[in-house]
Amino acid sequence: MKTAELEGHEEALITGLQAGNEADFQQAVRLYTPGMLAVARFYLDHANAEEVVQDCWVSVIGAIQKFEGRSGLKTWLHRIVANRCKNKLRSNKKEVATDFSATLDPELADRFNASGRWAVPPKLQFHDSADALMENDALSDCLDKHLSFLPETQRSALMLYEAHQHKSEDVCNILDVSTSNLRVLLHRARQRIFLMVETFQETGEC
Amino acid sequence: MLMCRDLAGIASDYIDGELGTTQKLSVKMHLMMCKDCRSFIGNLRASTDLMRAHSSGKPDPELIRRIDERVAEALQTRDSHDSKNE
Ligand SMILES: [Zn+2]
Repeated sequence: MKTAELEGHEEALITGLQAGNEADFQQAVRLYTPGMLAVARFYLDHANAEEVVQDCWVSVIGAIQKFEGRSGLKTWLHRIVANRCKNKLRSNKKEVATDFSATLDPELADRFNASGRWAVPPKLQFHDSADALMENDALSDCLDKHLSFLPETQRSALMLYEAHQHKSEDVCNILDVSTSNLRVLLHRARQRIFLMVETFQETGEC
Repeated sequence: MLMCRDLAGIASDYIDGELGTTQKLSVKMHLMMCKDCRSFIGNLRASTDLMRAHSSGKPDPELIRRIDERVAEALQTRDSHDSKNE
């Protein structure tokens, strides 16, 4: 879909939401809930994240009246989720701790020799396109599993940046991390995915 | 001199075009000479594409159903509230 078409579609959807049209809400819920959950999971456990996303949708009914479309609907929704999560954390007095000191995944770091050259070089071979590979259900399940193993911070960063195609500026805003920390989160998460696919391709096991 | 290990540390920044001119140049020089690092960059890029192609995580249908319900309920309450005020 072209950007202009997408924008037109979003405008129509916003008008529908502002009018309180139930069908438009259902459409928006299906379109935006995955991204909203990714944001919420950065801060909260699974159950709390789902609860926050539910509450957000109810609050959107009123709040959408004041939406001016400056930021795009997706970014606006993600900010609402992030703010709610932060408030919830404040009341639970829970801290989000992340170590940003290492840019290399420990498993990958072990694959270099003392002089900094590859001792165990990458073995992955890609003959098929990503879309073709994803038709492999076992690989898709394996990817799901490994995504769920990623630290929440890495997963949310990866989800927002890759799967939901946010600009890094927006991701930093939504998740409240610095640009350099976002770079570390993304790189660490990608290395995990690479290591997972490599093992899967080599052994056929997840 | 940029070593493979250093390159692996900044590979995502290279892929996303976040490196400065000098660093980008030394990565390109290294890649010209090093097959393993070319393979790593290709692999990381492919993994990223794979991640993108992988659906962005389908939420639990039960959650979607509950949201629909709560939204419908809230819309109704709002509508009846509005008509009372008129
Ligand atoms: Zn190298």
